[in-house]
Amino acid sequence: MDNNVAIKVENVSKKFCKTLKKSMLYGLVDIGKNILGLRTNSGTLRSDEFLAVDNVSFEVKRGETLGLIGPNGSGKTTLLKMLNGIFWPDKGKISIRGKVGALIAVGAGFHPLLTGRENIYVNSAVLGMNRHEVNKKFDSIVEFADIGDFLDMPVKNYSSGMFVRLGFSVAVHCEPDILLVDEVLAVGDSNFIIKSLNKVSSLIKESNMSLIFVSHSNTMIKAVCKKALYIENGICKKIGNAFDVVEAYEADCLEKRKSLRYKDKYQRIKSRHDAGIDRILLLDKDGREKTTFKIGDFLKIRAHVVANIPLDDPSIQIAIFDEKGECILSQISKTDNIIFPAIYGKAYIDFAIPEIPFNVGLYPFSVKLMDGSLIDTVDYHVKTNYIAVESGGKSGFNGKLWINGKWKICNA
Amino acid sequence: MARIVTYESDNSLKKGYFSIFLEIFDEIRYNKWLTFQLFKRDFFGTYKQSFIGIFWAFIMPFFSLGTFILLNRSGIFSIGDIDTPYPIYAMVGISFWQIFSTGLISSSNSLAQAGAMITKINFSKKSLVIASMAKTTVTFLIQSILVALLFIFYHIAPSIGIFLIPIVIIPLMLFVIGLGFILSLLNAFIKDVGNGLSVIVTFLMFLTPVLYAKPSTGMLAHLTKFNPLYYIVSAGRDLVLKGVISEPRGFLFSVVMSFVIFIIFLFIFHLTETRVTERI
Repeated sequence: MDNNVAIKVENVSKKFCKTLKKSMLYGLVDIGKNILGLRTNSGTLRSDEFLAVDNVSFEVKRGETLGLIGPNGSGKTTLLKMLNGIFWPDKGKISIRGKVGALIAVGAGFHPLLTGRENIYVNSAVLGMNRHEVNKKFDSIVEFADIGDFLDMPVKNYSSGMFVRLGFSVAVHCEPDILLVDEVLAVGDSNFIIKSLNKVSSLIKESNMSLIFVSHSNTMIKAVCKKALYIENGICKKIGNAFDVVEAYEADCLEKRKSLRYKDKYQRIKSRHDAGIDRILLLDKDGREKTTFKIGDFLKIRAHVVANIPLDDPSIQIAIFDEKGECILSQISKTDNIIFPAIYGKAYIDFAIPEIPFNVGLYPFSVKLMDGSLIDTVDYHVKTNYIAVESGGKSGFNGKLWINGKWKICNA
Repeated sequence: MARIVTYESDNSLKKGYFSIFLEIFDEIRYNKWLTFQLFKRDFFGTYKQSFIGIFWAFIMPFFSLGTFILLNRSGIFSIGDIDTPYPIYAMVGISFWQIFSTGLISSSNSLAQAGAMITKINFSKKSLVIASMAKTTVTFLIQSILVALLFIFYHIAPSIGIFLIPIVIIPLMLFVIGLGFILSLLNAFIKDVGNGLSVIVTFLMFLTPVLYAKPSTGMLAHLTKFNPLYYIVSAGRDLVLKGVISEPRGFLFSVVMSFVIFIIFLFIFHLTETRVTERI
């Protein structure tokens, strides 16, 4: 193995069993075979077994940071556990250079009845420190965890944040050559997250530590990692520059959510039978119908109106929501001081957005047709359509919006 | 340059049996402090939320002892021929027996109890099994205080052979740890093992002449001949009370057996411990 390589994973697979009883049986068989010195043919699948990690290969150099992303149950944690040696691959080979520190579940070794002080000693030992090291680093561990007077209180009384802080503090004080972190920072408050990331980054700089980082926060992956690996159903779908990989992952997620939205309940409140919005279309700058756009694209929302009786003083409201359901934009033609002529027969009303300012994501929107006053609803399509926004090279680092702001640096 | 570790399936097979042996003992030695910490965790964790705490170790033998005295006095059960006051005889026997019984139960539960810890952190699981024995040892030490009090009460002095006790305790502990290795593995993913074990241990207690003298006739006498636990427990008791081991051949055989069991099961444990974590 090259001197610079900290982790080398070659064609690694891991299988699990779906049923408990079969799992017990297979366990016995495998143990029996191991004792007798027989091969377990672990590469082949028996009935009810499936591959949690399937033929994954990658390399992490010293001082390098790799993010693992993918949906729940894609095999991220299994991969991490194999890197930690908690269980071995069924196929392939993993080579690790140096001491591994793992934060797969923070405080996994904590005994609820023991005090923080007692648990620090136990946990440090379990994570591979010796007596001398713990004594030396004890104060620093406590200081970093910032648990104050709680140090001598049983950890079962700790808040989940304090629990994580203490666990994290112990783990980073092990001074590992390779740190494996599994979605554990999610519990801490923002101060602690910043403090932890600073600590991790200083370990990377000072002692050339390698980091493997699992997170569901794409922002965090982009911020922390240079490289990323996107895994789904145990298969490595993409590996490379973190920004590119996150973009690919986001695009896939978007695709999935789009298909999910079709199953959503179509909600339309139509209060009149003689008039209404017939169709809602999304058009690009060439007038082609689309649902997926890129950030910064031209977009036109077109509402086809059919009126069998004259609609005097019609107005349209467009409200765009984010995926959490929060309204990020709501505009009414009338309050924008646009007065439409009466509609009789067929007509369409356009709402053009010159540059889509939304960050990558799915944006459901509502269209409401009113006549006369703003409380006279003719037809109301509640989130029946959505705009899907892809990155297309530019995207906000996080946040909901991306605007075409102009950057400039000047010597002052 | 840091050491390279590789993980592959059937890892151990590729290394050869001899190097595995060295690896095992290196691992145990290297993890001494870890074992001690796990012991502390286990020990304090058990007794923290309790007023009486460690003194439970006094109470348990009292009850077994009391039951036997009661059964004996009522003529239901005959203790047999013994030449020391029964409470001392029984208490010494129980102390040794408890190394076996509590040791076996706590060591066989050690992996299952650690649960999340072993599926989330990679550390030496051997330490976990060994640490579960340490609690048993402390219980034994505390019970020896009880024994000492009994000696004072009856104005009897123990034999000088009491200093040879380690030659009984070490094989006994190895025997228990050895069994603990294999049972904890099995118990980790087949819960029947743990449940069955507590039944069997109670049963063995009645089967082994701990609280009564070795019968000279009948089926039990015959069974006792092949009961290594009897030889070890009675050797310990002989040393404390008389200073000589009355059945040295049986004892020696049991000692050899203990060592063999320890080595074999330690080896098996080492080969298969990672298999178990993935099934917990």
